Amino acid sequence: MANPAPASEQRGIAITEHRLANGLRVVLSEDHLTPVAAVCLWYDVGSRHEVKGRTGLAHLFEHLMFQGSANVSNNGHFELVQGAGGSLNGTTSFERTNYFETMPAHQLELALWLEADRMGSLLAALDDASMENQRDVVKNERRQRYDNVPYGTAFERLTALSFPDGHPYHHTPIGSMADLDAATLEDARAFFRTYYAPNNAVLSVVGDIDPEQAIAWVEKYFGSIPAHDGKQPPRDGSLPESIGREIRELIREDVPSRALMAAYRLPHDGTREADAADLALTVLGSGESSRLYNRLVRRDRTAVAAGFGLLRLSGAPSLGWLDVKTSGDATVEQIEAAVDEELARFAAEGPTAAELERAQAQIEREWLDRLTTVAGRADELCRYAVLFGDPKLLNDALPKVLDVTAEEVRAVAAARLHPQNRAVLVYEPTTAEDTAADTAATAETDEEGAAV
Amino acid sequence: MSTEYVPAMTFHPQPQPGTPTPWAFPAPERAALGNGITVLHCHRPGQQLVAVDVLLDAPLAAEPEGLDGVASILARALSEGTDTLTAEEFAAELERAGATLDAHADHPCIRVSLEVPASRLARGLDLLAAALGSPALPEDEIERLVANRLDEIVHEQANPARRAAKALYASLFDAADRLSRPRGGSAETVKTIDRAAVRAFYEGHVRPATTTVVVVGDLTGTDLPALLESTLGGWKGAQAAPAAHAPVTGDDTGRVIIVDRPGSVQTQLLIGRIGPDRHDPAWAAQILGTYCLGGTLTSRLDRVLREEKGYTYGVRAFAQPLRSAPDGSGRAMLAISGSVDTASTAPALADTWTILRTLAAEGLTDAEREEAVQFLVGVAPLKYETAGSVAGTLADQVEQHLADDFQAEVYRQLAELSTAAATEAVVSAFPPDRLVTVLVGDASAFADQVRELGIGEVTVIGA
Repeated sequence: MANPAPASEQRGIAITEHRLANGLRVVLSEDHLTPVAAVCLWYDVGSRHEVKGRTGLAHLFEHLMFQGSANVSNNGHFELVQGAGGSLNGTTSFERTNYFETMPAHQLELALWLEADRMGSLLAALDDASMENQRDVVKNERRQRYDNVPYGTAFERLTALSFPDGHPYHHTPIGSMADLDAATLEDARAFFRTYYAPNNAVLSVVGDIDPEQAIAWVEKYFGSIPAHDGKQPPRDGSLPESIGREIRELIREDVPSRALMAAYRLPHDGTREADAADLALTVLGSGESSRLYNRLVRRDRTAVAAGFGLLRLSGAPSLGWLDVKTSGDATVEQIEAAVDEELARFAAEGPTAAELERAQAQIEREWLDRLTTVAGRADELCRYAVLFGDPKLLNDALPKVLDVTAEEVRAVAAARLHPQNRAVLVYEPTTAEDTAADTAATAETDEEGAAV
Repeated sequence: MSTEYVPAMTFHPQPQPGTPTPWAFPAPERAALGNGITVLHCHRPGQQLVAVDVLLDAPLAAEPEGLDGVASILARALSEGTDTLTAEEFAAELERAGATLDAHADHPCIRVSLEVPASRLARGLDLLAAALGSPALPEDEIERLVANRLDEIVHEQANPARRAAKALYASLFDAADRLSRPRGGSAETVKTIDRAAVRAFYEGHVRPATTTVVVVGDLTGTDLPALLESTLGGWKGAQAAPAAHAPVTGDDTGRVIIVDRPGSVQTQLLIGRIGPDRHDPAWAAQILGTYCLGGTLTSRLDRVLREEKGYTYGVRAFAQPLRSAPDGSGRAMLAISGSVDTASTAPALADTWTILRTLAAEGLTDAEREEAVQFLVGVAPLKYETAGSVAGTLADQVEQHLADDFQAEVYRQLAELSTAAATEAVVSAFPPDRLVTVLVGDASAFADQVRELGIGEVTVIGA
């Protein structure tokens, strides 16, 4: 490429891997710039493993992981980590559940002890009181983040349109109110016994660490937790490359402006085509020099915000996420015609050299940003280990994006970014005269567990 | 219960911490450019994304009568083209450099933030210098920004948290004080803003002599003074005296304002008043006490409202400086914020007042104080791991007329504060009878119950 930032090529991240006898995979990365250490634990379970009638269980369970274990009191996990000067949280997505602590380096051992205690002994503390309380908390999380926000349920609706009924990704991690009400303590226990096993997890430790000491602590605290193999693989998420038609839903709601949202079916995460799609969406709809922004916001002035986001999925097609909020009296028909025209032109011509260069520079900066903290690196290492089998793939990720050609970007757009491969959600306000928009919403993948 | 659960793992005692590595909030170096720009810079090894924060001495109080929002429009217009680049070209050049440039106007000043890979710092500073020193402020783009802003106001009105803040500020401050009105202006004022007004505000308030630039990141191999002089140093402008900031006052007579939203499934709570800002000797104690009240999920508020009752996903207490002055006449917003399901509105308020009264009567415990200090001091190396977070805090210090070692000093004080000092600060920050409560939600479901709580006169207003 013509425009590489030299700094990013200076160093890959040093990575070592281990596997305990019980199957726990461990990834270490040493970096002494700041006296902090990040611990990240990915369990290979997400909302795609849930069954009909129990949506939201993986996320509700994530909350229960903070309610104590054999040697840790209710909320003791929070008290001990924060009392040691650390920060912590957990999140649940379609494909995994993660838990993380970032600690002052001299408190690393405490975080490992805490994670091991709940991996091995959560059921010693799990009771009805925790279950009932966290059920209410999660229902309020759902109200706060989705039900009581304009357009708040768009993500859930578009996901349900994009993946057919019965598909493991048809529902989002937050789940439905009815299913949250229906979950029982025995469901939670069974969920733990099925998925929370050392051989279904990857642990990463990143930062100001002594790798030999770190692996010795991991062995000491996690080594005696028995493996178990009760896990069934998730239901098959594979689908044809294209939907083959347009799926459409009209919502009449009390929202501030009209909106056009859409989800396009895209290649699976981890493929070269997914990187090409990422570049296509960046050129088309990321930032204030993108084609959709220039067309809809600057020139046509029919939108306040217009953008594309990429929801990377590895076990099902990824989704390209369009979000346009209208300005003034502009109609959805005007917006849609302009979007389709821009997508068709892009599919025919592909990106210019300058556009590709800019898109690669943007993705490079985002990548630097993600890797700038020890916690960000720890999470990415787990991601590559769990979803793609090898944490060292992290060091190849950016060079792969920079290697994609303009023709590959054009080709993926031509194959995927057209009306016959999308689910569309249109919002028409019920209280008519006002029409407006805020910044483009991005597709939220994570349900924050315990907000800090 | 199912069968008795016996964990199979081997348990070990809770480990003890190792030896802490000393850490201090980074001390910046100061410099001045030939055109009068004040520079603070700080080398952070390994931070490949460099953060550049710029403070322009253009406070909201300086906006002309009837033109609320002109500072916000100016802030956005700075990145809409220069004397040599159109708006589209400027955006493209920024992205080509892998950079982001954000600007927003707040009560103390306009803040412009550039983030750019270290390898492209020179290009990023070139573009920043052009945006600040020779912005085109083109008429058609300003028309568009005004239209966008009008659209946004409608969305803000629909957002429960934004709506609550608007109602609280409008009630707390005198209508003549700029603090009482939305930062970005109202529909009535924004629609009167044109290029001439934006240009005049720029000419009147944006000058190198009253500008401060904070640069933080891995500056290895960078001759920063020379680089800044060759970029931002080329911006010429007349001398100017710094803006003065009026004292902040607010009416915190206990009262309740309900913004009625029939059918809301939740109620947004915002309970606030004004109190000490960072110039007050009790600031560190107030931080500590406020954290114990509502800093996290194990603080007093969430321990009951979330973890015992399940009324909420989380409620937080905080202090946010509004407008500060060197003489200490500035103030911070002190507030408790969160949302609860509609049926739990009055019970959650009742519990909140019980928590505040118990706190005033019995004080904090030594254990709470200890855990809070360990967190607030211990988490600092994490909080300030990135260049952006360090630059942001250094810029806050400049904006609020504080010494460069202010934050470092706060950490030293926190470590030594007594439980009694933290109690005194938080009790005086949140007196139960001097709080203005805003509720955005379905009034018909809880207004009568709220009246019975005795936390002040209840007024219901339209959404």
